[in-house]
Amino acid sequence: MNQLFKTFKVAFQAINKNRTRSLLTVLGIIIGVGAVIMTISAGEGATKQIQDQISGLGTNLLMIATKTEHRAGINVRMGRPIDKKDFDMLQKNGVWISKLSPLVVNGAQVIGPDGYKSTTVYGVSHEYFEILSRGISLGDVFSEEDVKTAKKVCVIGETIRKELFSGIDPIGRKIRIDKIPFTVVGLLKEEGKGAMGQDQDEILIAPFTTIQNRLYGHRRGYNMILGSALSEDHIVDAEIEATELLRESHRILEGEEDDFEITTQIELQEITGNVTGILTILLGAIASISLIVGGIGIMNIMLVSVTERTREIGTRLAIGARESDILTQFLIEAIVLSLAGGFLGVLLGVIGNHIIYKLTNFYIPTAGYSILIGFGFAALVGIAFGYFPARKAAKLNPIDALRYE
Amino acid sequence: MPSKKVIETKQISRVFKTGDIEVYALNEVNMVIEEGAFVAIMGASGSGKSTLLNILGCLDKSTSGDYYLDNVHVNKLNKNELADIRNQKIGFIFQSYNLLSRTSAIENVALPLVYDRSGRFSNPQKMAMDALEQVGLLHRIHHKTNELSGGEQQRVAIARALVNDPALILSDEATGNLDSRASIEVADLFVKLNNEGKTIVMITHEPEIAQFAKRMIYLRDGRILTDELIKNRRTKESALKELELTA
Repeated sequence: MNQLFKTFKVAFQAINKNRTRSLLTVLGIIIGVGAVIMTISAGEGATKQIQDQISGLGTNLLMIATKTEHRAGINVRMGRPIDKKDFDMLQKNGVWISKLSPLVVNGAQVIGPDGYKSTTVYGVSHEYFEILSRGISLGDVFSEEDVKTAKKVCVIGETIRKELFSGIDPIGRKIRIDKIPFTVVGLLKEEGKGAMGQDQDEILIAPFTTIQNRLYGHRRGYNMILGSALSEDHIVDAEIEATELLRESHRILEGEEDDFEITTQIELQEITGNVTGILTILLGAIASISLIVGGIGIMNIMLVSVTERTREIGTRLAIGARESDILTQFLIEAIVLSLAGGFLGVLLGVIGNHIIYKLTNFYIPTAGYSILIGFGFAALVGIAFGYFPARKAAKLNPIDALRYE
Repeated sequence: MPSKKVIETKQISRVFKTGDIEVYALNEVNMVIEEGAFVAIMGASGSGKSTLLNILGCLDKSTSGDYYLDNVHVNKLNKNELADIRNQKIGFIFQSYNLLSRTSAIENVALPLVYDRSGRFSNPQKMAMDALEQVGLLHRIHHKTNELSGGEQQRVAIARALVNDPALILSDEATGNLDSRASIEVADLFVKLNNEGKTIVMITHEPEIAQFAKRMIYLRDGRILTDELIKNRRTKESALKELELTA
């Protein structure tokens, strides 16, 4: 026991005496652990964000559009456009479909009191906001009445507000969409970047009736009908129902192909699953690489430092140290350095994640298991490569160790 | 009454095998070294003097024969017991000092006491101070290894060899890295320590240094060629005078 205490003292003295070497060793471990934690957490964060955004689209969403085919490099519409007749028919007969909104999309020049912007105008019904679960931060959404009477009102996203208004509150103020004045009634909650990198706040929403009747009188059809199933469990029922109703109203005979396409969240979720799967593989690859790189770094510095000390080991053996004394000393040194480096590495990883968040607004929650993996692996490599070369050196004949150059 | 035997070897041989060839580095060497002796071992390179020193220092074991150190039958000891006997009975001095770098003189000197399992020494700090006083380095105790001259470093190493009060001090070319003056100082230090009763065995290839000892053993091809007492021992004074004349 007394001998162990003395060996502890020797080990701490050795760490202290060779400050540069100790610091380099610790630094190697810090970088290794930090890199592992940060890469794993970044991957986890990205995966989670993509999942959130896809499910944020509304989990029971149905998108009904005219069938398009890719021909000669462009998408060509293959059937008759989805229109008011389809919409009314679905609204009237749909059992599993609870909410519906047309979607009319048009490019437009928008002018506000303090600026202008070329953007896209989305014409929708009042139910759109519930279907896509978009919240309002200021004012309110437009009403069913507004849609019926084709009122010139609109709801805008944060990016549009910034371009058109210098003040914070745009509610009740007028903007011009392709020269027609509209009153801003609501400001959407900020959503940030979407899963594909698009700005979800660059959005301008008005009643579809207004868009069709007052802005573009010649437009008949819709780009799409958005709907939501009664509940997540009935999304397949809703899809089948919509398909049958549309086939009937489009008079498509049995054996003929649909002239429309219905996309549901099921498919989106499948895509999410695929994306997540790919991300997980990518993440695993990144983590493995950073583990290997970190591990090799730690291994090198440990190997070099022990090899460099072979003569010291020889001297200690010659003046009466037992093999076990040397081993214990180097094991303590390796453990102390690995733990110190591991601890600081965890700190670096957590702080690094936070700094990335501050700099890029990309939130990275530090994954708990990344700390375990990073710390555990570094400790294992550090201790193993501190211990085994020391064992080799301690087993050397003292004469050979003394002559080691 | 005959004085106590510190070293007794009976027919010790050390054989190195390289492939099918057996090389006798030592060939049936018999020797007795008594307490208070000061022996210089000389010989050309390859004569077996380093092998002999390694065996006497319990760093290596003979292939055959028996070696008794302070009445302990060394051949029968295992690795740990060899380490302990090196710690308790032997003080090593090396050609390249082998001090711990970036470490103060006193910490270097106290190093053997770290590995002492006998509990003989209650105050390592004081032991180390005493040893440094014996080699005349009290004014350098807190200097780091790299802040000392070669001669001073070797004296720290000698203090380290003294600190555990060993039965035998073994020196392997202690003056090999030193200039003439520092070599004479170290040799003179050996004489002083020997006068205080220490048993010293030193390997050297410098006849001028060997002449400080009381007895000289000359090895050739692993056997003792001559073993005789030195009649006209050199002293520090005579050596320094010669140095001035040749300069």
